[in-house]
Amino acid sequence: MTTYLVTGLVVGSVYAIATLGIVLTYSSTRVFNFAQGAIAFALAITFYELTVDHGWNPRWAAAVTVLVVSPLLGLVLWAILFRRLADAPSSVRLVSTIGLWVALPPLTGLIFGRDERFAAPSAVFDPPHQYEVMGVGVDSNDVAVIVVAAVAALLLTVLLRATPFGLSVRATVDAPSMAATVGVNTSIVSAGSWMISTTLAGLAGVLLGTQRGFTLPQFTLLILGCFAAVVIARMHSLPLAFAGSLGLGVVQELSKSVVVGDFLDQFFERQSVWIRGLPQIIPFTVMLIFLLAYRGLGQERFSTDTRRADDAPTVEDLDGPPLAWWRRLLPVAVVVVCVLAAPLVLSGLWEGIAAKGLALAIVFLSYTLVAGSGGMLSLCQISFAGIAAAITADLATNHGVAIVVAIPIAALVVVPIGLLAAIPSLRVGDLYLALATLALAVLVDNTYFELPSVNNFDQGVDVPRPEGFGDDLPFYYLLVACFLVVALLVRNVRRSTTGLELDAMRSSEQAVATIGVGIVRSKLVVFGLSAFVAGVGGALFATYSGRASPEQYSVLLGVVWLAVVVTWGVRSIVGALLAGLSFAVFPQLASEHLTGAWLELPTVLFGLGAIGLAREPRGVVHQIVHGRRTQERARRQRARLRATPSPVPAGVEGGGA
Amino acid sequence: MTATAGAGLVVEGLEVSYGDVRALHGVDITVPAGSVTAVLGANGAGKSSLAAAIGGAGPVDRGRIVVDGEDVTRWPAYRRARAGVAYVPEGRGVFPHLTVLDNLRAMLRRAVPAADRADALARAMDTFPVLHERRRQAAGTLSGGEQQMLALARVLAAPPRLLVADEMSLGLAPRMVDVVFDGLRRAEDEGVTILLVEQYVERALDLADEAVLLRHGEVAWAGPVGDARAEVRSSYLGG
Repeated sequence: MTTYLVTGLVVGSVYAIATLGIVLTYSSTRVFNFAQGAIAFALAITFYELTVDHGWNPRWAAAVTVLVVSPLLGLVLWAILFRRLADAPSSVRLVSTIGLWVALPPLTGLIFGRDERFAAPSAVFDPPHQYEVMGVGVDSNDVAVIVVAAVAALLLTVLLRATPFGLSVRATVDAPSMAATVGVNTSIVSAGSWMISTTLAGLAGVLLGTQRGFTLPQFTLLILGCFAAVVIARMHSLPLAFAGSLGLGVVQELSKSVVVGDFLDQFFERQSVWIRGLPQIIPFTVMLIFLLAYRGLGQERFSTDTRRADDAPTVEDLDGPPLAWWRRLLPVAVVVVCVLAAPLVLSGLWEGIAAKGLALAIVFLSYTLVAGSGGMLSLCQISFAGIAAAITADLATNHGVAIVVAIPIAALVVVPIGLLAAIPSLRVGDLYLALATLALAVLVDNTYFELPSVNNFDQGVDVPRPEGFGDDLPFYYLLVACFLVVALLVRNVRRSTTGLELDAMRSSEQAVATIGVGIVRSKLVVFGLSAFVAGVGGALFATYSGRASPEQYSVLLGVVWLAVVVTWGVRSIVGALLAGLSFAVFPQLASEHLTGAWLELPTVLFGLGAIGLAREPRGVVHQIVHGRRTQERARRQRARLRATPSPVPAGVEGGGA
Repeated sequence: MTATAGAGLVVEGLEVSYGDVRALHGVDITVPAGSVTAVLGANGAGKSSLAAAIGGAGPVDRGRIVVDGEDVTRWPAYRRARAGVAYVPEGRGVFPHLTVLDNLRAMLRRAVPAADRADALARAMDTFPVLHERRRQAAGTLSGGEQQMLALARVLAAPPRLLVADEMSLGLAPRMVDVVFDGLRRAEDEGVTILLVEQYVERALDLADEAVLLRHGEVAWAGPVGDARAEVRSSYLGG
């Protein structure tokens, strides 16, 4: 047991270091950094390259990585991205760092190559000393990690509590515009916080890499653990973040112990599933428990309530008359004609790829519902899709149900799961909801998807295409038809009373509640419907490849999906269509024309697209339709920003202007 | 610049808009150094926009803002504060989650040279002893009047060159309104140039040397306070 306690403290210490960074930047800039793990990964690889490939002394390499490269990276990211986010609507603040999370690891691969990376020499003690503590062998490097984390936490606390910079940070956290009027340069405060945060990410990265290896899954696990710790800390408490991280690490490692394993084996009689998933499940179960147990998390929902919804019309939109009807419909018509006529120019393979894209587009319409109409950022749509695909496969292959019957049944089965996912949204604001849905997706990933009957030894289960649609061409047109039907459904939901209520809710939940609209019902309806739509799309997606295998529906892929959808426009049906097609087509193009690390270029582009939302929150489709006007608006906004360098001109918003 | 010699604050042709909504159309105001000018006007006349523009917390489309002969129009808020412009925004000009002590530290850090900081802190506490009693309490838990005392304490402990006070008496009990005006008078005695935005017209005119009447974002009238009362009456009631 003691062994697990020690390794647990080591893992927890690494969580703690990275988590402190997330909490710091969220407090001082209100930007939640989903990309902290990705940043840690990029910096860990930098360290690896310096030591292994360039033969630097590991201690020097670690010092340079953590103290020079990390803050520089923070400064650069602040200058090109985080700085712009201070004024952005909350959905954009969320999605931009998700985009960075998506883009950064493959970008690291592009820069440093995608070689297999084995253990690098330790940056602290090499070879480590061995001690014996309470009958357990302890490594001096383990001790070093714990000490480093404690020192980092202590330094950060002292910095915030006892230095002028700390006072400026705390003043800025409290009231940004006030801080500026008493002489605090808030740009320096926010740049400084980001530099400290990336430094902590670099430190966590180097430590994790030397302890656990330089592979991406290790860092994904790291970041998921950090998110749980951040929730425990209620986004702002550094001591709670530190203690929560340590606790999580210990519990997570203990779950690997033989005692727990034996108990679970007896209890569930199915060892492979639970043992493999447990360490991943724990942070997220903890996170869900805290999300539901903490009181007052919902207040954040109201405090951000006053912010403009990202698609709310602005005064700038009043310039000139509204677009003529034909200009609004023209892009839709062009897209429909192109989709219908596409097989005339496409070869057999590409018909299939396009069909796959259409299936994805149907899944993406579920984002149009839940995020576009509902304004709720859900990261578990991919789980709905995956569960429906697995159920469809089971029904069709093992129970002989016709595929056209199996798909709707499967989609209906995921509706209750969708309602379950909606529960946090009734309590908490959009950031917590994003984390809760992410937690749900991780849970599904590591439990249901690990079931032998679903996973089938990573083979997946066969899903036949519908009778008579086996060839790619008829299959393509079948999917065009399906997409149009679902698109019509989405459009009608939007125009229904529920749709109107959702529109109003996006602008202000408080205002909607005061006119007697039940928020609960609207949210449940939109989540349930979106689960159904995602289920249909997910099952159809499986019929393309003829196989429903969980790896096609992994959490991280879901994050990339979100990035693609928001890039094209989360409010737009055409946006969902283009997102689906591009998600199918770009990787295929890449696999035909690119090699090695460049294969991941599409992922980089998807991530950069989401980052680009900081410039145009309404997505590419909106930009194409309203192009000139959008640019005009952006130009004015920049002019305005130059005139008012303070991040939030709160003092004037409610003023007697 | 000849017209502005000896002026603490000069505002020339100030235009402010929020999107397409114009708040100020070419406002000109001159406040002689060390004097108090009251800015009066109905809701929506542009008073707060004017105050925010001078404080650096609001947008400026066109025009110039000159403090003690220095053109600060393009300066960000923090630079103006460091140059001696103290702007107390509408509502409560404090950091609600910081303690009273940290509030004063944050406010005084850029207003006083390092050597004098401890003294300034002590002076601020002496001005309003209740602040000393509550120095470890979060400023947001103070009463409205005490919060304004905190804002005033900063002004009195380290007199700025220019104080822009936007409705400091808003929502206060009458006794606390007395405290605020008393504090402002002491600031005037210290030689601070004051631009005072107020709803309590009579009190403001008692304190001020000159008055400016804003209407629909324009200066409707400006002159010495002696002539202001009749103007105000016709402006507020006769519109």
